[in-house]
Amino acid sequence: MSGVVTVPRWRAAVTSAPVRRGGLLLLIVVLLLFPYVEGNDADIDSLANAAAYASLALGLNIVVGFAGLLDLGYAAFFAIGAYVYGVFTSFQVMPHWSGFWQPFALLGLVQKINQGGPDLVHFTLSFWLALPLAALVTAFFGVLFGAPTLRLRGDYLAIVTLGFGEIVPIVARNTPSVTNGAAGLNGVQAPTLFGYNFTVQATPYYYVGLALVALLMFASFRLRDSRVGRAWMAVREDETAASAMGVDRTRFKLLAFAIGAAFAGAVGVFYIAKLQTATPDMFGFPVSVMILVMVVLGGMGSVWGVVVGAVLLSLLQSWFLPDLTDWLHMLGAAIGSDWMQQVDLARSIELIFGILLVLMMLFRRDGLIPATQRTAALSFSAQHVQGVARGGFDRALAERALGIPADPAGNLLEVRGITVRFGGLLALNAVDLTVPAGSVVAVIGPNGSGKSTLFNAITGLVPAESGSIRFAGREILGLPPHRILARGLARTFQNIRLFANLSVLDNVLIGQHARLTAGPLRAVLRPPGTRAEERAAVMRATDIVALFGNRLAPRIAQPVSSLSYANRRRVEIARALASQPQLLLLDEPTAGMNPAETLELAEQIKSLHALGLTILIIEHKLDVVTQLADTVVVLDHGEKLAEGRPDQVRRNEEVLRAYLGRAAREALDAA
Amino acid sequence: MTLTDVYLQQLINGLSLGAMYALLALGFTLVYGILELINFAHFNVFMVGSFVALGALNLFGVTPNAPPLAGLALGAVLLGTLAVTMVASGLLGVAIERIALKPLRNVRGPAAMITTIGVSYILFNVVLLGLGADSKNFPSPLPALALPIGGAVLRLREVLIWIVSLVLMAALTWFVQFTRMGKAMRATAQDPEAARMMGIEVDRVIILAFFLGSALAGAGGLMFGLYYNFTSYIIGFTAGLRAFTAAVLGGIGNVPGAMLGGIIIGLIEAMGGQLVSASWADVIIFSILVLVLVFRPAGLLGRVAPNKS
Repeated sequence: MSGVVTVPRWRAAVTSAPVRRGGLLLLIVVLLLFPYVEGNDADIDSLANAAAYASLALGLNIVVGFAGLLDLGYAAFFAIGAYVYGVFTSFQVMPHWSGFWQPFALLGLVQKINQGGPDLVHFTLSFWLALPLAALVTAFFGVLFGAPTLRLRGDYLAIVTLGFGEIVPIVARNTPSVTNGAAGLNGVQAPTLFGYNFTVQATPYYYVGLALVALLMFASFRLRDSRVGRAWMAVREDETAASAMGVDRTRFKLLAFAIGAAFAGAVGVFYIAKLQTATPDMFGFPVSVMILVMVVLGGMGSVWGVVVGAVLLSLLQSWFLPDLTDWLHMLGAAIGSDWMQQVDLARSIELIFGILLVLMMLFRRDGLIPATQRTAALSFSAQHVQGVARGGFDRALAERALGIPADPAGNLLEVRGITVRFGGLLALNAVDLTVPAGSVVAVIGPNGSGKSTLFNAITGLVPAESGSIRFAGREILGLPPHRILARGLARTFQNIRLFANLSVLDNVLIGQHARLTAGPLRAVLRPPGTRAEERAAVMRATDIVALFGNRLAPRIAQPVSSLSYANRRRVEIARALASQPQLLLLDEPTAGMNPAETLELAEQIKSLHALGLTILIIEHKLDVVTQLADTVVVLDHGEKLAEGRPDQVRRNEEVLRAYLGRAAREALDAA
Repeated sequence: MTLTDVYLQQLINGLSLGAMYALLALGFTLVYGILELINFAHFNVFMVGSFVALGALNLFGVTPNAPPLAGLALGAVLLGTLAVTMVASGLLGVAIERIALKPLRNVRGPAAMITTIGVSYILFNVVLLGLGADSKNFPSPLPALALPIGGAVLRLREVLIWIVSLVLMAALTWFVQFTRMGKAMRATAQDPEAARMMGIEVDRVIILAFFLGSALAGAGGLMFGLYYNFTSYIIGFTAGLRAFTAAVLGGIGNVPGAMLGGIIIGLIEAMGGQLVSASWADVIIFSILVLVLVFRPAGLLGRVAPNKS
């Protein structure tokens, strides 16, 4: 029984694979047959629109839900995609014909036309070509708009994206030569497929919309369950920790903007082809908010959720509210109420959006279909089977799981004259530190002496004013944190910085980020190599978690926010180990642990050392330091006070004064 | 009208707009300084404020056809309208905080900001559905006094806007700097946790910040009506964004910064509209917003409250 997560039987039935597959199949069949059952063109058109909004919601979900970047100007990308198709298929922009256009004419991209006067070029970009092309163009704009916002805090980012969202329609309105200004583009071409012209019928658009949603959902699922998706979620949960665990924040934020924008660009093409007109008013702030409401209603980060949210709200607008209005009118006619006969509920849709936003935030922030299903808590007996494990890690398992590289000779880490200043405060003053390969070095010192700042400087989280930090013979000072991790330095944090809403397994998998290679394309296509890489990564993560025995193994699927303090410390160490470090930096790993747990962890650290891992540790508990360290470095007021073997340092005059104060030292002497 | 006159006129216009934006920006800054929350509801508290002012003016007998007032009657009507508008807007702000934001006080992430977007939408649509989409004529009790300066004209309404804004901003500065409650506000902005431990009722400080900020937005709504002679459900968004830009430009969380930012944005709008084209004014203003946030996120005068992490 121990270690088994108990799930209610009904839910197990609903979520079992055959039932899910059957349900999905049924849904697909119903959706495919819908136009034949329902002959009403307007209803089919409503569903085609719902598909467009669902696709937009999927795109915004990448940015807001996965990567946690609140974008309030998302409609801008929708607009750019729409205008790319609109301008290159309508009769708005028509340069003079010249030989330059001949090759394009052969490819079918342009036509030579004559409206009296000189020959002109008429763009005839194919719808099917426009979909990927617009996606590429908008992805570029996604990067362009995203780049200046990268360093901004979340709420500022929202405002800047809002600003861009406003600028794009204004530019469209103010450049009538290209966009026909406020009047909008007219005569946008309908798509054709094998000679069949879609014109203004609803059914073909419905099927294209359906295919688009299916494609984007597939891509969303694949991205979510990949190295890329995990990196986004790591950035969302804790940017600093993500970067310290090897995630290149800049790259993955821009990637989220680009992919989210690309989705919107493709939808813009679809939407405009269906409508055959585009005006700047179709892409304003209300549209951005509507898409946000859809994502919030469905559940940020939940692929099914945002699709359901988008379809519900879209149909609310086009089906339910008009129907309800009709009924009210009939009722009003029956009871003779003028007001009831005139009311139009569809006009209140934005009011409903506003109310929904507030209610969802107050009462159901995870949305209708939350991204993270709550896992059942462990049973009482499962929670309490653990005794203190003695003797450190299982050696065979640890060797397999950690893959510690053969220890190089010489000094692994050489810190020379490192100086860090915070405004007027000198946090570190020309500190030297040497960590020989295969050793355990402990840094001790009173609170505020600069220990954690030293770690932050080594791992690139705070810039150093001067000095040099060489790791395995190469300078790492000035490198961003994720590159330093990639070199083979991994750390834990004094105040525990885990990705709180992610599971233990995901946290440990993110630790492997720098050792994995899959990018977005491979994440979506998942070729055999990527499949194998992912499988190996999960195996390794499971092995590393298993090192901590029944402390972590039964909890591997639980979100780390539900773990005890000591277990969170263990997960952080597991996450750091997953990056296959040569040097492990532990910042007060036993803080908050009871004596038995402290002993357990100390022995585990010792067994890591025995496997050849080099360790730099900050620790307050001197018995732990004595037990583990080959060398102890004492910091006080940002300066190195002493260095030596634990027993030497313990007797050092200055160290005692720094720790206990002069009076205590004198009292000690007198005694 | 010579070119100099045109610029002089735009200077007058810009200062008037700027005074209005400054009033609005103060509300953003007060709330942001304490809660680190961008309050989108503020946009439409301003808009509702202008409708409250319109209602109050009607109540005092000021209608489009009524003759302009003078002397004591004018002063009483203006002060009365200002008081009613500020108190009503202030209470609206407090109600928003109590109902929609207080439950989210300790929730991490964008939940509170998304809520303020929702509240803003509700205010916007309640006014739209309740009072209609047409702009409403905003009657002015002011006599049509105008002082020609060269070819430019300085009207009484502009002078009034300057005076009211200056008095309100001076009063706010005095309040924040020299009263006990103001000191509590500044302390809370620095560190709510420490302020709470020192015996400051942080909850009351937050209510006060919403009340003051929203009351100033209401005053801004009245100024808007007097300046443009109309109001509409739609005025909150553009003015709100510009005022927010002003707050960021001056240094969000910083009271004098909000005033300075407001004046600068007002001048940019007036002068930029003159020099380039009014249809590009918003692009210029948003570009400034982006540039300031990227290159000098602390704004011109710097942020008073440190970044809490």
